[in-house]
Amino acid sequence: MNNTILSLQNIAVSYGGEQVLGGFHLDIQDGEFVTLLGPSGCGKTTVLRTIGGFIQPDAGDVFFYGKNITALPPHKREVNTIFQKYALFPHLNVYDNIAFGMRIKGKNEREIKATVHEMLSMVNLTGYAHRGISQLSGGQQQRVAIARALANEPKVLLLDEPLGALDLKLRKDMQVELKKIQQQTGITFVFVTHDQEEALSMSDTVVVMDGGDIQQIGTPTDIYNEPKNAFVADFIGESNILDGLMLEDYSVRFAGHTFQCLDKGFGKNTPVDVVIRPEDIDVVQADSTHITGEVTAVTFKGVHYEIIVDVAGFKWMIQSTDFRAVGDRIGLSLTPDDIHVMAKSEYSGRFGDYSTFSDEMDEDMQAAGEEEGKADEG
Amino acid sequence: MKAKSRLLSAPYTVWMTIFIVLPMLLVAWFAFTDRAGHFTLENILSVGQYSNVFLRSIWLGAVATFISLVMGYPLAYIISKMSAKRQSVMVMLVMLPMWMNFLLRTYAWMTLLEDNGLINAALRALGFNGIHMINTAGAVVLGMVYNYIPYMILPLYSVLTKIDQSVIEAAEDLGANSRQVFFKVVVPMSMPGIISGVTMVFVPAVSTFIISKMLGGGANLLIGDLIDMQFLGSAYNPNLGSAISLVLMVIILICMGIMNQFDDGEPGEGGVLL
Repeated sequence: MNNTILSLQNIAVSYGGEQVLGGFHLDIQDGEFVTLLGPSGCGKTTVLRTIGGFIQPDAGDVFFYGKNITALPPHKREVNTIFQKYALFPHLNVYDNIAFGMRIKGKNEREIKATVHEMLSMVNLTGYAHRGISQLSGGQQQRVAIARALANEPKVLLLDEPLGALDLKLRKDMQVELKKIQQQTGITFVFVTHDQEEALSMSDTVVVMDGGDIQQIGTPTDIYNEPKNAFVADFIGESNILDGLMLEDYSVRFAGHTFQCLDKGFGKNTPVDVVIRPEDIDVVQADSTHITGEVTAVTFKGVHYEIIVDVAGFKWMIQSTDFRAVGDRIGLSLTPDDIHVMAKSEYSGRFGDYSTFSDEMDEDMQAAGEEEGKADEG
Repeated sequence: MKAKSRLLSAPYTVWMTIFIVLPMLLVAWFAFTDRAGHFTLENILSVGQYSNVFLRSIWLGAVATFISLVMGYPLAYIISKMSAKRQSVMVMLVMLPMWMNFLLRTYAWMTLLEDNGLINAALRALGFNGIHMINTAGAVVLGMVYNYIPYMILPLYSVLTKIDQSVIEAAEDLGANSRQVFFKVVVPMSMPGIISGVTMVFVPAVSTFIISKMLGGGANLLIGDLIDMQFLGSAYNPNLGSAISLVLMVIILICMGIMNQFDDGEPGEGGVLL
């Protein structure tokens, strides 16, 4: 840990007797884009508010460049926050909103003017300086909130689900823009979201959280390709999670057959969870492979079809660009690279096949709103 | 749709025409006529001789409004920070005096403030000299503040509770200490409440007659008393009374117009504006 800007150590927070965080550790490197990802109630916003100083932890310390800032109030911390609902000052116009922090610090008006205009051009709002906040769209308000925070030259920018209220297309644009701003300014971003796609596409480091604990920390590729447990595998992308038995290194048995794999170090005859991503499965002739099943549902998703296949009672999800009709018997082919083996965890068995919609899917549906509605008609 | 809404609003339109618009027109009519019903400007012109009464009313009303604001704002702010349950108890306590008869409340102050009243009796019992309080301008202002302060607190409270906590946090986040948060964010954002509170205290305070009659004695005659005298008193002259009312109305409108300049022209939330 060479360049740690922020360090949370042993943080405990509880609301009304209910513990949200306990013994929480997290180190954040200078200049990183870190995303805290997890379902609602996992404690990710609590972590952010602890860094911002809005929550005093019951126990533990927050270090900023090695200095303990746990007792420091928000206005004395060199971090700035972008709030979920932007929290712009409705009685001030765009210019005065962005100038607010600098005026508090007593900078001279000429300097403030230069910075405000620089910030406005960075967030593509040149010419909006004298608009009222209520005259702006959600996306524009979001940009003002970003400009207002960055105008203070924070060392760390905290972002609390800042794109949650925007529609899908605008959200995608803002993702690109935020990433660009982060790279331009080199400021450390700590970003909170429940949208796994957002987390994967923007971050240098993803911190997957559930139940107040970190489930996995890693780069987006690590998190996706090498999930540590069934929760991570299920939460990040789509996964078929099967019960398996690690016979020995590089050999795992599941779905009634033994497969070669690339995983090792689990010991002999160890029960494991096996993850197979829907897009890794090749659809082949029914008689040319070990795993065969009947197609029970097909959903057109645009780029691919989502095919649910019943293999001896276990429903697999496959993503394929080739259409298969309901009732077809098909074979599923796997190469060693497609198989990812994980140790059993408390989450084992809670996620599995696609016989029902999981809670997570419901949540995604709500989050994505109307856009996803189209996909329902399959 | 339009026809339906017109139908629904008809009773209100009729009501407002008969009981608001018509009386106003009558007041104007009386103000510009003499007893025989002929047009005259004499009533309006003679209002000028009461300018000291007008000035006193506006001055005392303004002082009472200012004191209500200074006393009411902190209370409204404190209440808005309480838990929901305690908030409703506190709001009820603020409104409680309003459930009692206005006249009774003012009488109560009379017995407290009299030269031989409760306060002076208590002072003397403790060995101090009595203080002359009744029939002073101070007693009138006290009566105004006591009676009208709930109308200041309630709109302030309703605006203050609507301020989004995250906006406060945003200000702290940008480096503002609690003093700066209060004066740069909370106060400007509660401007609609301040304006409606000031309006709701100032207007009745300026035109009151009971309070000045009971607590101010003859020396602190207000416009309300003057109008009262023209209709019910010895100086019976409804035409002059109407003229005074008309002038008072214009003055209040001007005051409110000035007040509203403090707002940015954005329709506020929760504020009851003129």
